[in-house]
Amino acid sequence: MAEEKITIALRGIKKLYRIGDQEVAALGGIDLDIKNGEFTALMGPSGSGKSTLMNILGCLDRPSEGSYRLDGREVANLSDDELARTRNQQIGFVFQNFNLLSRISAVDNVALPLVYAGVKAAERKRRAMEVLEMVGLADRANHQPNELSGGQRQRVAIARALVNNPEIIMADEPTGNLDTKSTAEILDVFTRLHEMGRTVILVTHEPEVAMRANRQLLVRDGLITRDEGRGVVLDVV
Amino acid sequence: MKIRTLEYFVREVFLSLKRNNWMSVASVGTVAVSLFIFGMFLMLVLNMNKMAESLESQVQINVYLEEGTTSSEIRSLEAELNDMQGVEKVTFVSKDEAMERFKERLGDQSSILDALDDTNPLPDGFEVMITQPELVETAAKNIEQHKHVESAKYGQDVMEHLFDITRLIRFFGLVLMLFLAGATLFIISNTIRLTVFARRKEIAIMKYVGATDWFIRWPFMMEGMVLGLFGGILANIILRFGYSALVSEIYSALAFFPLIPEQPFLNYISIVVVFGGMAIGAMGSTISLKRFLEV
Repeated sequence: MAEEKITIALRGIKKLYRIGDQEVAALGGIDLDIKNGEFTALMGPSGSGKSTLMNILGCLDRPSEGSYRLDGREVANLSDDELARTRNQQIGFVFQNFNLLSRISAVDNVALPLVYAGVKAAERKRRAMEVLEMVGLADRANHQPNELSGGQRQRVAIARALVNNPEIIMADEPTGNLDTKSTAEILDVFTRLHEMGRTVILVTHEPEVAMRANRQLLVRDGLITRDEGRGVVLDVV
Repeated sequence: MKIRTLEYFVREVFLSLKRNNWMSVASVGTVAVSLFIFGMFLMLVLNMNKMAESLESQVQINVYLEEGTTSSEIRSLEAELNDMQGVEKVTFVSKDEAMERFKERLGDQSSILDALDDTNPLPDGFEVMITQPELVETAAKNIEQHKHVESAKYGQDVMEHLFDITRLIRFFGLVLMLFLAGATLFIISNTIRLTVFARRKEIAIMKYVGATDWFIRWPFMMEGMVLGLFGGILANIILRFGYSALVSEIYSALAFFPLIPEQPFLNYISIVVVFGGMAIGAMGSTISLKRFLEV
């Protein structure tokens, strides 16, 4: 099955920052393979480097050293425009604070990536409605984000992440701003996406959220210190 | 660029201008003022150049005659000079006239001439106007060959001074215009910086979902260009009316003052001011965007 295909391959990834005269390694040399269709949770305390790793995985940032092959393509060799296209087509992002545009409706927010992909307006609308239906928000399509609850906003954000049909979904603390009920709903959505065969990467510091994944990684001081399957409770602190 | 994308950009630009309406008005106003001053100096420098040119081209040779040249000899010499190539006009200046002019030039200090005891040491002479400045030197030499001519001098020093002054005006004008272009750039980039700052979260979101840098940059650049365009048009209207008024004012008082005629001069100025405003607007927004494109 496609399960064996390696989607993400990191080798010796380092991210170095200069602070004054000192060079600080946010990531100290990470080796990681993530297979196609895997549901991975990335855990770690704040300052551990997990956000930096997420930014590199999401092609928002480039590593200082090392090789990152996404679907066999070396990311370091891609131009800024190619990186933008990769973010647009191959990766869907979900954030803790939803990151929706407040001045446009839910359906327009969902359609935004399609604007950058150059899809026609009618087709944009159709596809945006389709994914909104998938997350159960078709009846809220014309509401502004501030007319929606936290959980609904996050589902709009997930719909936006899905609209270009990307193979990878990356979520950075997606339940951090949500109550228990909404958290459960959103996690169900991610589980369903995983079951549909998407590669899901979830950054979180909550063990109960991480338990939903099949694989749990613990990042500490810029390195992956533990790599466990489901069922193990990784305590971040 | 696809039409669809262009439509999106245009809508974004006008939405943004509307959202920041008072900021937009204020920056159009300041841009207009600074482009107006810029245009004024451009006009001044061009007119100065033109004036210097016309002065350069009015070149005069002073011819001094030998003592005791008779009036018939003077008349025949005048005729000969008039026949010379490149001579526009020959005016006789008698020694008495020359003395009058000299007294006038001395003004308050004309009493020093009392020491001359009513004798007049100045010679009779001609003022010879030459059509082209390049001909002056040879014309002066030729005139000196004539009988009864003591010497023929042309204002070499004056011309060199004139060149210096023109150069100076050109230089300062250029410095000033560069300075004003810089000021306009600063104003526009500041305005755009405010809109960019207000929308920095939006820019980040656009980057997350895969907008290319140029896709993000275009609406802001167009916004800067629209600000520059409106400012330029405003400045241009004031400049056109101002210059027309000035030209008619000056022509009624000083008919021969060598101002550049309104057409097509004003059209060139319009093009420079309006397109200059747009170019500076585009540059201004590029500068203020640079920092925010790095997520």
